[in-house]
Amino acid sequence: MSTRARVVRMEPPAATGGSALLVMVGLSVVFLLVVALLGVAKSGGSLFSESNLLYVALIFYAGAAALYMGFGVTGTERYVRFASTSTAIGLAANTLAVAHRWYLSGRPPFASIYEMLLSFVWAVAALTLIAEKKFGVRIIGSITMPLAVVCVILMQLLPSEVRPLVPALQSTWLHVHVTLAMLSYATCALSCALAMMFLIQDDFKTETFLAWTSAMVSAVYVAIVATRFEKWGGLSVTGWDAKSKSDIILGPGMRLFVTVPDLGWLFVIAALGAVVPLILYFVGRARNNESFFGIANKAVFISILLQVVVLAAFILRVRDASYASPDQDGLFPTSLAASPFLLGGMVTGIFASLLYLMLLWRRTDLESLLPSADTLDRVTYKAICIAFPLLTGMIAAGAYWANRTWGSYWSWDPKETWAAITWLVYAGYLHMRITRGWRGRRAAYFAILGFGVVIFTFLGVTYLLPGLHAYS
Amino acid sequence: MAFSLQFIPKRIHKTFANLRTGIVLLILVVLGSALGTFILQRPVTDADKLARAYSPNTLRWLDRLTLTDVFHSWWFLTLLTLVSLSIVLVSIDRFPNAWRFYARPYRKTDSHFRSALANKVELPIKNSEQGVNAAERALKKLGWPVERIAGNEPSLYSERHRFSVMAVYLVHASLLLIFAGGIIDGIFGYSGFLMLKPGQTDNVIELRTGAKKQLPFAVKCYAAGQENYADGSPKRWWSKLAVEENGKEVESKEIVVNDPLVHRGLRFYQASFGMTGTIDGVKLLASPENGSGREITLRLNEPLDLDANTSVTLAEYIPDFFIRDNQIFKRSDNPENPAFRLQVKNKATGEDAKLWLFPAYGEAAQGEKTNYTFAYRDMQMGYFTGLEVSHEPGQWLVWAGCLLMGLGLAVAFYMVHMRVWIAAVPDARGKLVLWIGGQANKNRDRFEQKFTELVEGIRTELESASAAPRSERKEQPELTLAGVK
Repeated sequence: MSTRARVVRMEPPAATGGSALLVMVGLSVVFLLVVALLGVAKSGGSLFSESNLLYVALIFYAGAAALYMGFGVTGTERYVRFASTSTAIGLAANTLAVAHRWYLSGRPPFASIYEMLLSFVWAVAALTLIAEKKFGVRIIGSITMPLAVVCVILMQLLPSEVRPLVPALQSTWLHVHVTLAMLSYATCALSCALAMMFLIQDDFKTETFLAWTSAMVSAVYVAIVATRFEKWGGLSVTGWDAKSKSDIILGPGMRLFVTVPDLGWLFVIAALGAVVPLILYFVGRARNNESFFGIANKAVFISILLQVVVLAAFILRVRDASYASPDQDGLFPTSLAASPFLLGGMVTGIFASLLYLMLLWRRTDLESLLPSADTLDRVTYKAICIAFPLLTGMIAAGAYWANRTWGSYWSWDPKETWAAITWLVYAGYLHMRITRGWRGRRAAYFAILGFGVVIFTFLGVTYLLPGLHAYS
Repeated sequence: MAFSLQFIPKRIHKTFANLRTGIVLLILVVLGSALGTFILQRPVTDADKLARAYSPNTLRWLDRLTLTDVFHSWWFLTLLTLVSLSIVLVSIDRFPNAWRFYARPYRKTDSHFRSALANKVELPIKNSEQGVNAAERALKKLGWPVERIAGNEPSLYSERHRFSVMAVYLVHASLLLIFAGGIIDGIFGYSGFLMLKPGQTDNVIELRTGAKKQLPFAVKCYAAGQENYADGSPKRWWSKLAVEENGKEVESKEIVVNDPLVHRGLRFYQASFGMTGTIDGVKLLASPENGSGREITLRLNEPLDLDANTSVTLAEYIPDFFIRDNQIFKRSDNPENPAFRLQVKNKATGEDAKLWLFPAYGEAAQGEKTNYTFAYRDMQMGYFTGLEVSHEPGQWLVWAGCLLMGLGLAVAFYMVHMRVWIAAVPDARGKLVLWIGGQANKNRDRFEQKFTELVEGIRTELESASAAPRSERKEQPELTLAGVK
């Protein structure tokens, strides 16, 4: 039983180990703040600009994420107190950032994917605190805070200037529609996190988590390789025009791609590294041999290392460099900002793998920290009971607005259709639960699936499917 | 059982009144609509784009399988109809039970029920009438409605939000309303496009299918325009429209995006704004041989008198010209390199002079000699406003359905049907007790709190009732509590 042995080995001395992480996180937060402050002082910019506030929020959210995860690993009660304080400070900075932008633009920040993420992160952080204080689900921050951190990092890369509203967006219904959307999406995120907690508490096999985690990471890397791998091992990324801060557009719907040489191979290796644990899991299941799972866990380690290497290489090679383009002669610049979603996918993969390791090492501790499976099941259901009416309201408000703008309340636009699909999935959840008495694991799967559909509706549709909803 | 024709309706009913069938149908709808978002759809995509995205062979197959227009295909509409049918039949199947539960609440407990109920408390009492009275006072203080139940044992029944058990039917009915609205619009509704130039009146719209449709009234466009932000992106599109019936203007409105004109159930939306490619007018400086010039605006083929003897006409406009063999030809419709031909008529002599104006190569007009010189100042392009026209008679059903659904969901999720039974009965050992039981249809932990609160209230009432003989002193605590409230 290698896991058991590791549990013993990793056990830190209770008192000193408890302070060590606090001191480390505290010092890094202070260090980052001081460095940022010096930077602001040197450049002479405004201290309370939106990007500075957002940076503060990012630092505190990251600190909170580290502490929540540390709490997950060691079970030190003090971590949670500091983690929720850190979340609260981050939330305050986030609120100020929202207020600042609102004040500057004279309208709520709902008009671009950047602004929606700003509101989404705010809602996620607020709901985390509510879930923690009101429902006593303290560990939930170790899932939602990394999510918040990924979103804030993504936002650093998305075009953030305040753009005037195009005519179609000049409507009160924009605010109603988007507020409802962000609230319901954040509640769905919460229900998904709660459902995962439930699975941990419900003696869900650690191997199954292994399978899902590596399936997700594999999906990210296989998708990147499938769409971006170029001949001779290059990786194609979008060209970036630094002056206008936007993608280089060749024609309607045609972006200019540049090829970063050799980077493609690294992604292929990372994809293989992510697939190996998955294959080992399936082999182990087919042969009914547990020792394969032990090897798979080691493979997850290697996969994380590979992911970190790939991420570092990606950041180093893609940030502010010029490469040849397959479409046109000459060298074209690219930047991290040109590929926010590749980066987001990679960071999400690393977080997911780390969360799995946390579960692997500290399962028994986690179980004692979490509320009972029954409570988690009920709270998940409650979260969906809140999300579903909000989702309904969002669709209705969107339909009413579309009727005033496009002349039709329903035009089967991909975003609309996927919103309806999300609604149907959650309606299915409610029916199965209420009339068929689905409780526990099946309901939890359903809740996780529901959030998967939400994420696809929110981000996937915008970047993969063409449609009218161009601005979101 | 022999399989006869009589059983077919029954079998159909059995199949569709089944929740499992409903869920399977919903899954099919989900898969179908997902397919419709991954494959480009004809109604919203240019034919060119489709041709570029798919090979001709693939496209032929997609068309044949109706996958390029999933949302209007017979199979998708059939699926939606079957879902509606399923909702109706499931609801009908379950309704009688729910209605019985709603209309005839279970008020009077029996010993079997009392022992099976989960939430219950027994408080010892001396006198059944006194105990029930105390419970009634406690219930009233906490705001519960109280019903006294006649019978051998004095007992009480109290409930809140009974209608919440029917809310799910509201939600399902609202869904059917929305579907009905959609179907009505699908059958009787239409939508099309109307392009108007300023000053133009029209009553024929082009439908999505390409067919023309005549409206019972005409729409006139007085003016239209676009306003830009400082960075050049569009801020506002507007059109001043008027409705004319039998040649009389009956309504007028300036519409913008998000604010349509509605007349007789037809809605006119500001959809687009653009250039027609033709010229609206050209502004020139016309100067006589000796004297100061004045600015004139010429429209195509409309003569303008410069003085008693001379008139000038804009005879020809070429948006983008080129010269070959001393002849002027048109290269494109792009108005970047225009040429204007002016015709100057001298009424006294009857002479006709021809001049050309090439603004890209200098502002002065050149050609035959006249007693005026012309210099180019400015040109205004003709523009049009594009109106989206739609007739959706079913939309009110849709909005009513949305409101009803909001109401239904709010009641279904946030109103809890809570019931409390109280009876003075002998307990298992034959001693007289006040039996208190309660039940809620959701949010059970919250109800448990309320139930405990209620039991505590009754306990206090019982104690104060037994401590004090029936006198004025009894009123004391009631008053304070009422004061606190």
